[in-house]
Amino acid sequence: MPKFLVLYKWTLDEQDIKIKSDDLSLDASRAKGKISDFDRNAIEEAARIVEAKGGSVDVLTYGSAAVKQSLKDVLSRGADKAYWIADASAETADAVVTAKVLAAAIRKIGPYDVILTGEGSSDQFNQQTAPRVAALLGLPCLSLVHKLDVEAGTVSVTRKLAVCTEQATVSGPVVVSVLSDINKPRIPGLKQVLGAAKKPNEEIALGSLGVSPADLQPKAVRRSAKGFVMTRKNVVFKDANPADSVAKLVSSLVSEGLF
Amino acid sequence: MNFELTDEQRLIGQSARAFAKEYLDPIAADLDHSGTYPKAIIEQLAGYDFLGLLLPEEVGGAAAGAVSYIEVIEALSRSCPAVATILTNHTLGALAVVDWGSDKQKKDYAPALAKGERLATLAIYEKGPAPGVGPDALLAARQGEHYVLNGTKAFVRNAGVADLYVVFATVEPAPDKRALSVFLVDARTPGLTIGPRLETMGLKACPVAHVIFSNVSVPAAALVGGENGGTAIATTLLAKAAVFEAAQTVGIGKAAVKHAADYAKQRVQFGRPIASLQAIQTLLADVATDAHLAWLGVQRTAQLIEDGQPFETDAAMVKAFLARVGSKMLIDTVQVEGGFGYSEFMPLPRLFRDIAGTTLLDAPADFPDEIIAEAIA
Repeated sequence: MPKFLVLYKWTLDEQDIKIKSDDLSLDASRAKGKISDFDRNAIEEAARIVEAKGGSVDVLTYGSAAVKQSLKDVLSRGADKAYWIADASAETADAVVTAKVLAAAIRKIGPYDVILTGEGSSDQFNQQTAPRVAALLGLPCLSLVHKLDVEAGTVSVTRKLAVCTEQATVSGPVVVSVLSDINKPRIPGLKQVLGAAKKPNEEIALGSLGVSPADLQPKAVRRSAKGFVMTRKNVVFKDANPADSVAKLVSSLVSEGLF
Repeated sequence: MNFELTDEQRLIGQSARAFAKEYLDPIAADLDHSGTYPKAIIEQLAGYDFLGLLLPEEVGGAAAGAVSYIEVIEALSRSCPAVATILTNHTLGALAVVDWGSDKQKKDYAPALAKGERLATLAIYEKGPAPGVGPDALLAARQGEHYVLNGTKAFVRNAGVADLYVVFATVEPAPDKRALSVFLVDARTPGLTIGPRLETMGLKACPVAHVIFSNVSVPAAALVGGENGGTAIATTLLAKAAVFEAAQTVGIGKAAVKHAADYAKQRVQFGRPIASLQAIQTLLADVATDAHLAWLGVQRTAQLIEDGQPFETDAAMVKAFLARVGSKMLIDTVQVEGGFGYSEFMPLPRLFRDIAGTTLLDAPADFPDEIIAEAIA
């Protein structure tokens, strides 16, 4: 029976982030936390497979002290046990640092048959966690997965590429990142929410993972984050003869390279 | 003093909001227009254990507490208050069983009510000026090991879809005018018939009808809380109903102000979004303030219920406060949206009708004042 580990990120809910109109800076002061959207798909997929075929689902997260708020939420979504690493380094961590910490933790709590995560996080969508963790652990990686099956130690996936789909199978441990259309994450029922408090969770001290201070220094440093506002040309064609307006509209669209 | 929700309360509210967004938002307008009872939705709610939220674990409930319950009711009411009304009336009926019922009654009824396999409701009102008064009064006469019920209960919600009616009747001879007795009456009991469905102003997906009792014979074991023990039960259940309906009203108010605020940001008049006009800001700020302050009162009252403390005065206060500001929240938000807000293709007219139900039913606006006045005298 497959042993899953799902990696998830506790992010700010982008719906709560306001863009200031004067300088486009982001105001996240009232933003609540949430489990990153694609990671919910990963948790759901693991939970569904285990509910159908048996096995277990552990989850692992690395974040600031706020990650503790995620534990009951994630455990109400089908996970059996949650591991969490809470450290201030996560606030500045880039994809390399995050992968190093997660890989070190997996070496400590593993092994697992399938390590799942979302294709990218809701906040930064770097799409680097799965391939970097796989590389550090020496495991194969299957990304862009929108169909997953696990049978007798073999992982079968369908990947959704730009112009086609690809089917692949892997034997043995593998890292998989999933797309949002792989499933519809569940809405936890009351008893799942209340039952979450009875499930185990374990904090992993960053210092116990053998990660050096140099490993925690990000190479990519975010200088600023600003809101994106789409600007429009507001061109209006209002000739007396509608046919003239249509002709000008088509001509304009052609000149813009849209046809 | 701590205003923070526990993780469980927060997550239960989160689940209810997700449920409402996923399943209620797409159908709320259709339910309002058709008045259809949403059977599939109620079954889905049961699947999430919402129908047994307040019931104890030993009968299969979630025992999540009143604070979690109002989180759910408020969340559902933002999308479809009628569904919250169905749920609340079921819950009140089920509470009569688990809080005052005999061990056998709990064993016979509570597990199915907790799972949502059976739906309950209260049959409490009558057409006359008070229960037991007038030609249609529901009277119960003891005949050996049975009671025989004759008369009519008026404006029964969940009528025709409930499996169990928690019926308040006057057992003759009554020791005083206010003496009531409670009976558990199965919907299939011979002689119980449901009158024509009554068209209501709002909350249309919750069916309302008079329930007629014609020589309905129930065993003495159907009596809850002893003969003439129903007045205290009614008082407590109506006080809880006031709190739950207040949660509905706040949910409706918050939905209305959110819709109006979003509209105001998009609607451009005089060359700028109307949200930047002070007159509009004042309307929205007033509604948001009323809804927020009312919610604090509702939460406080729910916490008192959860703690087993006296809550009736607080319940009366939130009821009275929302009776004053509830409809105004909709008047002001419709005012913000103008002609669009007044149109049936927008949600505010539906919420306007619904909020009349959640603020005016179960106790007229002046009734709570009596309770409050007694408390402060």
